[in-house]
Amino acid sequence: MRILWHGWRVLVASRLWALLRKEVQQILRDRQLIKLLIIPPTLQLLIYGFALNPEVHNLKLGVVDYAQVAASRELVSALTANRIFLASSYPSSEQELARQVERGELTAGLVIPPNFSKRLASGDTARVQVFIDGVDANSAGIASGYIQQILRRFRPEAGVLPPTPPVRTQVRFLYNPGLTSSWFFVPGVIGLVLTLIATLVSAVTLVREKDSGTLEQLLMTPAGAWEILLAKILPLVVLLMGDVLLALALGRLVFGVPIRGDPFLLLALSGLYLFVGIGVGIMLATVCRSQQQVMLTAFFITLPMVQTSGAIAPIESMPAFFQALSLLNPLRHYIAILRGLLLKGVGLEALWPHALALLVMAPLLMAISVSRFRSQLS
Amino acid sequence: MRRILAQCRKELLQFRRDRLTLGLAFLLPLLTLLIFGFAIRLETKVIPIVVQDFDRSPLSAAYTDRLFATDQFRPAPWRGDDPVADAIDRGLAKAAVIIPPEFSRRLKAGQPVEVQVLVDGTDTNNARVIRNSIQGTTAFFLSEKELLTNPPPVQALTRLWFNPGRKESLYIVPGVYAVVLWIFPSLLAAIAMVKEKDKGTILQVYASGIRAPELLLGKALAYLLVGVSMAVVVMGLGGLIFQLGFAGDPTPLLVGTTIYLAAAVLFGLLLGVRSANQNAAVQGVSLVGFLSALLLSGFIYPLSNIPPPLSLVSALIPARYFIVISRDAFVRGTGWAGVWLDVLMILALAALLYLVTLRSLGSLQLADGGGGGP
Repeated sequence: MRILWHGWRVLVASRLWALLRKEVQQILRDRQLIKLLIIPPTLQLLIYGFALNPEVHNLKLGVVDYAQVAASRELVSALTANRIFLASSYPSSEQELARQVERGELTAGLVIPPNFSKRLASGDTARVQVFIDGVDANSAGIASGYIQQILRRFRPEAGVLPPTPPVRTQVRFLYNPGLTSSWFFVPGVIGLVLTLIATLVSAVTLVREKDSGTLEQLLMTPAGAWEILLAKILPLVVLLMGDVLLALALGRLVFGVPIRGDPFLLLALSGLYLFVGIGVGIMLATVCRSQQQVMLTAFFITLPMVQTSGAIAPIESMPAFFQALSLLNPLRHYIAILRGLLLKGVGLEALWPHALALLVMAPLLMAISVSRFRSQLS
Repeated sequence: MRRILAQCRKELLQFRRDRLTLGLAFLLPLLTLLIFGFAIRLETKVIPIVVQDFDRSPLSAAYTDRLFATDQFRPAPWRGDDPVADAIDRGLAKAAVIIPPEFSRRLKAGQPVEVQVLVDGTDTNNARVIRNSIQGTTAFFLSEKELLTNPPPVQALTRLWFNPGRKESLYIVPGVYAVVLWIFPSLLAAIAMVKEKDKGTILQVYASGIRAPELLLGKALAYLLVGVSMAVVVMGLGGLIFQLGFAGDPTPLLVGTTIYLAAAVLFGLLLGVRSANQNAAVQGVSLVGFLSALLLSGFIYPLSNIPPPLSLVSALIPARYFIVISRDAFVRGTGWAGVWLDVLMILALAALLYLVTLRSLGSLQLADGGGGGP
């Protein structure tokens, strides 16, 4: 107890403490910084969470029905039953259908031939033509898969149930049984937001001081360079931890994203990741001479970091080269940790490779950028 | 007019003198194009899955082979006896297929068999793809082994238009053009405007007697020229690398790109005027530009999936219309008939941005600037 008290008194009396107090006061006075820490993350989380939705539904379907029988109408209603397709127009000819697809008014087209009912009645396989606008290759693939699936089950005679197939696949979705898409995006966006904010805030603060020469003034005091930097970094970490809590609370309250893993592990690893973001920011501040350059380069670094992290597009679908490259991306590991802890509810036994990667990258980045910054100052 | 040109020349000279910014201004868009163009793929091709075969019969082996016969799945590194859910927990596999004992015996006896499939639901898009694909493969396996009691009476001959090979780059790259040509020109313009205020050169501008519209048009023209050369470089090299040629009449793209760039530059200038210092300027551009262009423009996921209040916001985003024009020019090739409305919409938004920026410039106390703020 006495040792603790003694340690506390030493800390309070130290130069670091004085510097810390100065930095905290400076930050609290900077309204813009506070706004910056609260508004952008909130907005980003809400917009991303609501707007990003990879589901394929309500695709506009044009139907050319040359058969005009009960069975053909039933086929159309089978295709539109689960809202994947929306029968939005009935052009009179294939040419008209083609024209509408070309103009982007329709995403898919269905042509039912005149001999449809005859072939059905004679027990032959009736063939219908389906056109899908392939510009959006991902959605087109999913849509074509759905069509095959619906047609496999389709039986035109009313009252005749499709035969139970000899092999039934019983599919269970783990972690997210309702397949709520925001559950996938929210953890990714939390990582993205923290990277962007941590990098920008630390880079901009440091470059501003370099510009205005206030860092040189601090260097004239007896304080060491490392004390000055530490005093700058620690309050930022605390503030950014506030952002972590804010993001997690929004995810929980607005999108209902669960926190199934250990919350303390989550906070500890998030804190570790913040050092990565700040390290990147300091690095930027050493490379750039003006705030103008900081911004451009911050974008250059954060955009590809986000894109190769699996925040928005899955990592498994990237070309092999980028998948290998993404192993060097700290954000990729942090997002894997977030998804693991929030959705899967696993612990370090499954996440240790990612935690280890962060544990190596964060101090390394910090050490390199801080030593670069120090050598520039002195 | 002469004063507008003079302002434009001055702006370009200043821009050219800053070598680093100049390099970044052309290098960054190109690198962004390359990374986005190569790395963003939505469809997963080689998904690691675990097949746990409790039957170990020739038939179940044939079923397993069928699953791995397409390029959709690959076996995950997992020993056969460990619980499969662990493989999914650790992220080593995205799905597990569990073939029950007596699979083969029951099938031959005509009794129904249940195959259990566990799918990692974290990535919802791919979870659906995996489910559909496993079910499709199972149906194919059954018809191949002639185990189906009666085949489906209706078959679809599916044809994909415009992009028969389902090359995702055809979808992504024209969208990347829109994102890159929005973010970088507006960023450069915003920074130039803010610099004028930061360095106090705005006082010289007051003294010069130039009027607000002249200042605005001069600056906008300069950065429009920068943007156009950026567009030529990005689209030229992008076309070569991703093998993207004009699919039809290129004039809508030429007209559309010019107006789009003008809108981007005006947007940047507006942000520059509005924000008190650079920190805020960047935040403004980063947030609004990056977010909107990327997400509310249909760059990655279909526009129709954006829910009502946000979909109204997306109608105000020029990138959304430019993506339509760009995809049409490089993939569809319909020409003016398909995209005239989108060109008009960008024009309207650019005009709106011009008026708003001009009003904000009023606060800068220019010759006829309406007075007002400090």
